[in-house]
Amino acid sequence: MPAKSPQAHFANAPTLWAASLRHLLRHPAQLALALIGLSLGVATIVAVDIATSSSQRAFELSMRAVNGAATHQIVGGPDGVDEQVYVRLKTRVLPDGEPEVALAPGVEGYVSVGDRDLQLVGLDPFAAAELNGGGATAGGGLAGGGEQNPIRWLTEPGAVVMSAQTARQLGIGPDGRFTLSVGGRHYPAHLIARLTADNSGYDSLLLTDIAQAQEWLNLSGRLSRIDVRVPDGAEGSRSVETLRRELPPGLTLDEAPRRAQESLDMTAAFTTNLKAMSLLALLVSTLLIYGAISFAVVQRRRIIGILRALGATRSDVLRMVLIEASVLGVVGAGLGIAAGLAIGHELVHLVARTINDLYFVVAVTSITLPTSTIVEALLAGLGTSLVAAVLPALEAVGSTPQLGLRRSVLEERAVNLSRKLLLASGALAVIAGVIVASTTRSLFAGFAALFLLLLSVAAFTPAVLRGLARVAAAVLGRWSPLARLALGDIAASLSRTGVAVAALGMALAAMIGVSIMVESFRESLRTWLEHTLQADIYVSAPGPGAARPERQLESGLAAQLVAIPGVDQYSLSRIVNVESPSGSLPVNAVQMAAKNYQSMPLVEGSPQRAWPAFDAGGIVISQPLAWRLRLRVGDELKLTTRSGEHPFPVVGVYRAYGNDRGNMLMNLPVYRKWWGDKSVTGLSLYLEPGVKPAEAIARLRSLSHGRQSLLFISNSAIRGVSMAIFDQTFLITGVLNWLAAGVAAIGLVSSLLAWELERSRELALVRSLGMTPAGTAGLIEAQTAFMGLAAVIAAVPAGLLTALVLIDVINRRAFGWEIDLHLRGAQFVNAFVLALAAALAAGLYPAWRTARFSLASEIREE
Amino acid sequence: MLTIRKLCRQFREGERVHRVLDGAEAEIRDGESVAILGRSGSGKSTLLNVISGIDRPDSGSVEMDGQDITRLGEPACTLLRRSRIGFVYQFFNLIPTLDVEENVRLVLELNGVRGQQARKRSLEMLEQVGLADRAHSAVDRLSGGEQQRVAIARALVHQPTLLLADEPTGNLDEETARQVMPMLFSLARTRQASLLIVTHDTALARSADRALELRDGRLI
Repeated sequence: MPAKSPQAHFANAPTLWAASLRHLLRHPAQLALALIGLSLGVATIVAVDIATSSSQRAFELSMRAVNGAATHQIVGGPDGVDEQVYVRLKTRVLPDGEPEVALAPGVEGYVSVGDRDLQLVGLDPFAAAELNGGGATAGGGLAGGGEQNPIRWLTEPGAVVMSAQTARQLGIGPDGRFTLSVGGRHYPAHLIARLTADNSGYDSLLLTDIAQAQEWLNLSGRLSRIDVRVPDGAEGSRSVETLRRELPPGLTLDEAPRRAQESLDMTAAFTTNLKAMSLLALLVSTLLIYGAISFAVVQRRRIIGILRALGATRSDVLRMVLIEASVLGVVGAGLGIAAGLAIGHELVHLVARTINDLYFVVAVTSITLPTSTIVEALLAGLGTSLVAAVLPALEAVGSTPQLGLRRSVLEERAVNLSRKLLLASGALAVIAGVIVASTTRSLFAGFAALFLLLLSVAAFTPAVLRGLARVAAAVLGRWSPLARLALGDIAASLSRTGVAVAALGMALAAMIGVSIMVESFRESLRTWLEHTLQADIYVSAPGPGAARPERQLESGLAAQLVAIPGVDQYSLSRIVNVESPSGSLPVNAVQMAAKNYQSMPLVEGSPQRAWPAFDAGGIVISQPLAWRLRLRVGDELKLTTRSGEHPFPVVGVYRAYGNDRGNMLMNLPVYRKWWGDKSVTGLSLYLEPGVKPAEAIARLRSLSHGRQSLLFISNSAIRGVSMAIFDQTFLITGVLNWLAAGVAAIGLVSSLLAWELERSRELALVRSLGMTPAGTAGLIEAQTAFMGLAAVIAAVPAGLLTALVLIDVINRRAFGWEIDLHLRGAQFVNAFVLALAAALAAGLYPAWRTARFSLASEIREE
Repeated sequence: MLTIRKLCRQFREGERVHRVLDGAEAEIRDGESVAILGRSGSGKSTLLNVISGIDRPDSGSVEMDGQDITRLGEPACTLLRRSRIGFVYQFFNLIPTLDVEENVRLVLELNGVRGQQARKRSLEMLEQVGLADRAHSAVDRLSGGEQQRVAIARALVHQPTLLLADEPTGNLDEETARQVMPMLFSLARTRQASLLIVTHDTALARSADRALELRDGRLI
């Protein structure tokens, strides 16, 4: 027979592919568990992508829905833009040759309808239509007649328009009347039309006439912004420069996409953390796939030997294993995408709720599955499988094709490998340390160090398992040969048991690390709240968004509230966002009570110097803001005031967990001087000794009754509310953490199941020597439980290290938060319970099978 | 013609060195059947592995029709094994996930024969070993003798010039061995393939054209 190229024929040998496929199908449980592990890993990535991109997409659509054609925006301080500026710009005489610039005024704020938060947008429909060129936007639609009747819009008091879907969700029918709340003030509204646009951009919006919005938001004569559309190219740039020159001090002209991006950037650290959690699940599944594929290869060593003897080259076998892994990867990725869609559907609500609480109002009514996510999922599935398959495949083809390679040789190799991995583990940990030490701000480097640390855990776990099993076998073996058999088997089968326990160890380390981080954060927050929340009663205008200007107490009401009998001291605060060259920044302008100064924990700057300087016009900034803007005491921060940019000296840095964007404290009189805003967002009341908060609250309620529905919260209640918000925020982390742990548990079940099934002949021999089925089942369960225990032992120190990296590196770099380490027994108990449950579950099927199989046939098998 | 010259192969086990082959020499003519006798662990299987290019000698050469196998690279060795050598093992080494006919056809496919032609040839081969009616049976349903006949069919279907049999009767009872082995000799002879049988069964060795003994690493 003529000699031909080896590669030419192997790929076209259908019987070989049949053998490969049938092998997989003959082990359905093994195949199913490997696929579940992989698809859950991929599903987690897809779900997080779907949840974050759907929320971002919803936000972008709502931005586009209002005045999508705007190229720029004119914005001012907390009290917005004087509407006379708009009139002046609209009626100005343009210089010769300067093109026409489209302008549209806008008023916006957050309102509540029932328990739903919506963005109220006040529009001039004609100006909006002109700006959008009659395009498919809210303004364009309203000016165009139809159900959106412009006459009713302009003439009916309380007339609003919302999307048909939102109206349906709120139970408001056509022409329905309802009440909306703005900062505790209630107004009647009338739904005159429903928008049935195809996109979901309107779902978070409530549209009304601009004058109506000004009335509701207490912005008489003021605008939130002026949308601007300039032509493209040089002409447009000229127009922008002219407009900038003509703007009064305190107003800025920004590019519209930049402002939208600024809002989205607020969520960047949050979404990065979610992404990292999902990658953790994939990393765990990589080890599991490695376990599954290496087992499949090892199981077929004999067949591979036959094939090599019959003439299959090394590259033929390598190709076969890698193609098999690719198929597994693609199928796993496909299943992962489907599962990710389902998980993402649920996760999106959690993500949207967190974004609503922390960043901006968004209504996610449709799920976005970006093409990039599908590609990413396929690549992740395929890449994971290939990476996992390469090592066992190289190992299989690297050996001489002698049939029936002795198991002892294989295990000897596994033991040698575990020693090398121990060294690699040390090297990985050192590299992680070097990365942390040599970088100060890079979040990517922080995550890289974290993942290296987790890989280091995976690398040293097999050696830990072997060491523990040998010691236990030596000790327990003195009393029982069965114990020696059970534990000795674990140590002697490291090629199987090591990978499974490594995957579980890594997932447990991550789980312990994340739960310590969350608990430490929680405790730090609790301590901080105890320090800073010293007032007895807190009063604020309700509503969404922490720094929304419409959340303000009615004029004069604050003075009456602080004057009730029993109030010893009080603080007044105005919480707003102000513009700066670094973007919009939150300011808490506060007139502090004497007790308030003592409760503010400064981490930089001495209280003796900082607070007098604060009273004199300096600002005290929170740690996250100091981190984000790289500011220290002695630096200056420029803010855009009513009279233009003004530098404010940083006189102190305080510990704060209020938000991840940071905050700054400014003396209220200083704020009022620079921004001319006399409003008050909230009060903190310190009661005289003996005055009960409940009685004082009753008095406050009766004073505000009929004027404004305010929130009166006692000290203990506000701490409870703060902790509840924290728990809700970390709910997603918890969900993802459990997903990663679930993937690991499935992997353990899969690997141990395969190992126990492979040992069925040995178990049959033990039974033939007189062990009862129950005894054999107990032996199996004891073995798997021991492996779970070994994983926990390896994971505890690694989990502590992971927690330190999460606390001191990841959180610090992502948000600038300083968190104190807090340890609790529950963090370790949870990991132990999970490991034990997974390990015992892994032993169930082999134990059941061992109790039922035919001894004769198992022993007879060659 | 297969020529083995001064073949040496040793293995280390800790400090100990086993000289399994120590200057083994032999010549096997085309179509000749030769039995290699020897005690357990004398290096018989190692000799077959070196002859087929599965294992590499420490020194010496193995020439097939003037071509030194020991100088060939791994892919060329594989190619040679695929096209010119057939194997019969003690434990049959059939692939359990393929049926009888597929096990035989696999070798043809590896050699580039596909489709109907491959099926026809593998069925013809099975007919020659008396297993045409079991073509689509699972291999683990066959008796030991039947499995060995499938292995013989697989070893000969691509018309190799050299047939290597490693203890082919080692896993068969005496009666079955008496039925199967004449078939192996007869088919090898008909196809003009040289047959090298490693065995410690002296009765089987007597059926070969000549017998050599592997002792202290040498062929005597």
